[in-house]
Amino acid sequence: MIKILSIAIKDSKELLRDKKGLFMILGFPLFFMLIFGFAFGGMGQENEIHNIALVNYDEGAIFPLNNEKINFGNNLTQVLNDVKYEDSEKHIFNIIETNEDEANDLIKQRDVDALLIIPENFSQAMVNLINFNINSNGVMPINSNSVSSSNVTAELIIRGDSSFTDFGVSQAILVGIIGNYQDEIVNNIKNSVSGNSNNQTQYITTEVESVPGTESFTMFDFLAPGMMVFAILLLATTVAAVLTREVESGTLTRLKLSRMRSFDLLFGGLIPWSLIAAAQILILLIVAIMVGFHWQGGLNSILLAMFVGLIGGVASVSLGMIIAAFAKNDRQATNMGTLITVPVSFLSGAFFQLPQVVIGNFMGNPFQIYDILPWTHTLYALRTVLTFGGSWNDISYQVGWMLILTSILFAISVFLFAKIRLRAEN
Amino acid sequence: MDYIVETRELTKEFDGLKAVDKLNLKIKKGEVFGFLGPNGAGKTTSISMIVGLLLPSSGQILIDGAEIQKIKKGTIGVCPQDLVLWDHLTCMESLKLMGDMYEVPSNILKERANYLLKELFLLEKANTLTINLSGGMKRRLNLALALIHSPEIIVLDEPSEGLDPQSRRVLWNFIKSLRDEEGKTVILTTHLMDEADRLSDRIAIIDHGKLLRLDTPENLKKEIGDGDVVEILLNDPTENDNAINVLKNMEEIESVIKINSLLDIRALDAVSKLPIIMKTLETHGFSVNDLSVRQNTLEDVFIELTGTRLRE
Repeated sequence: MIKILSIAIKDSKELLRDKKGLFMILGFPLFFMLIFGFAFGGMGQENEIHNIALVNYDEGAIFPLNNEKINFGNNLTQVLNDVKYEDSEKHIFNIIETNEDEANDLIKQRDVDALLIIPENFSQAMVNLINFNINSNGVMPINSNSVSSSNVTAELIIRGDSSFTDFGVSQAILVGIIGNYQDEIVNNIKNSVSGNSNNQTQYITTEVESVPGTESFTMFDFLAPGMMVFAILLLATTVAAVLTREVESGTLTRLKLSRMRSFDLLFGGLIPWSLIAAAQILILLIVAIMVGFHWQGGLNSILLAMFVGLIGGVASVSLGMIIAAFAKNDRQATNMGTLITVPVSFLSGAFFQLPQVVIGNFMGNPFQIYDILPWTHTLYALRTVLTFGGSWNDISYQVGWMLILTSILFAISVFLFAKIRLRAEN
Repeated sequence: MDYIVETRELTKEFDGLKAVDKLNLKIKKGEVFGFLGPNGAGKTTSISMIVGLLLPSSGQILIDGAEIQKIKKGTIGVCPQDLVLWDHLTCMESLKLMGDMYEVPSNILKERANYLLKELFLLEKANTLTINLSGGMKRRLNLALALIHSPEIIVLDEPSEGLDPQSRRVLWNFIKSLRDEEGKTVILTTHLMDEADRLSDRIAIIDHGKLLRLDTPENLKKEIGDGDVVEILLNDPTENDNAINVLKNMEEIESVIKINSLLDIRALDAVSKLPIIMKTLETHGFSVNDLSVRQNTLEDVFIELTGTRLRE
């Protein structure tokens, strides 16, 4: 344990004291993030029609102001059908009303961008909300994805493949429209109660002709987590070069003569480097937000993203160690690192979405060929928490895979490093 | 006799080229053992095999009677020829790191690190980054890192390389103290005659991977006979071979060989024989440009054995 700690302290000090090196490690990905931010920050705003599968389970409720039965689910469906782009006659959505099984198939085939499920108690929750507002004569804050009152909560579910760009765009627009829909209703209730409006049905048949904020999701929102994964992957090249330099300078031979094991050296090295990966996520997120990334979720999502980045960092450092086991000098390590990390970045989907290649099914989830890479899961998890505001539950499956694949990668690196670098030479 | 290191028919081949050829050595416990030879003679290759960094092509290495692969790590401390340091760690941090790697208990480690820094005149630089040390200081730290765990056997590969005379003196005194005060076995590779002569209890002369002689410095010098060496530079060095043909017939001369552009003449009481040597050369038409007389050294032993100087 002392040896691991000692190596970790050594590597940390070397990292922090080599200011130029540290600047390069942290600065290079920032440069990419800025370039991508400026290049793709405006993309995704084209007035494309988005195919949405809609499953309406809403059973309706009695409207409190006139005691008539009303179905807010149908009303929302109508709103979504009618909604148009700002300053345009073009409809935003093509709504396909269907059942859940069919909708799931449509998502898998990518025939629809997203699935919206309206729950059976949606109308009741809206009525309760109206009653609450009538009673309190105030407005209750509403979560953009759910309508809640003191005793009824209805959750609208937006489902889709988060590795699919169009899902990102569609869900962002849906969230915006639903939020707008709720606001409209609440405002109308307020007006009704205060006597400013006599038309009680006006808020039910809300016609949203143009929706401000439909431009909120850009291609950059989809790419920014990819840039983070790219940055994490670049660590593999840096680690490979640093370790190979240790070989070249002879310091590894010095360590090799001691009682240090491959595990001590590599595990000790993991600690500062994976912390660098977590720090990179935070720094890149700040820069991404500055150049237009629409970050969703609160502090929790940042902490989750840093945790995900840390595991992704461990995977990258392990990859770097494997490269260092073979590279003859730091230039070769850098070249090998680039040759490996750039294609892996593409294969993990960091730069653009890849065609679906499902090779199996695991725990009800399709397992694609790219899923053998831990960084595919890193990317998925980062997108889920940062772009879509997902929680731990949404990424636990991906984190599980990351932990398994990273452990395998690390075990391989320890074995190869011990076999190639720490044995007597021939 | 208590031998701590033994090599048996130790051989190393690289692409068919024998870097070390059937080397048989026995190194006594508590002695300073000099490994003398020119650059490329096979010293570092031999040392690398003895410390377990390089696998031999054939032969055997025994450390205190046990196979090298089976000995406890840390039995041997190695000070490499090149400076092997972490630029961004201080002297104390570097020593602490290596101490931890050798599992030295922390209280002993602190004491040992301070002792080494003091003995090698680095105490004031304990918290200085290695990158900011002078060349001599770096070399002394290079040595300290090999000794932090108090190994039984210490291998010093060309330790004086690039050192100023003052640092060299510090180093030599320290090497002597390792043997005399701590009872360590020191294996020293060098191409510096003076260093090998002053420090070594026994010297192995190696060239082209083969052991040429193994004895005490005194015995080695005696082997080529007592006496002095006269070095003569002719005005026309192309006449050296003709001059050798003349001189080798003189009874007063033990031997004469050509080293670079010089004639290297070995003779007992050379000063008294200088007049006759000069007269003989003049009689045969050779003109002398420069002349010097010095005592027999280990280098002369080496020249006698290999026909070349160490630096060649």
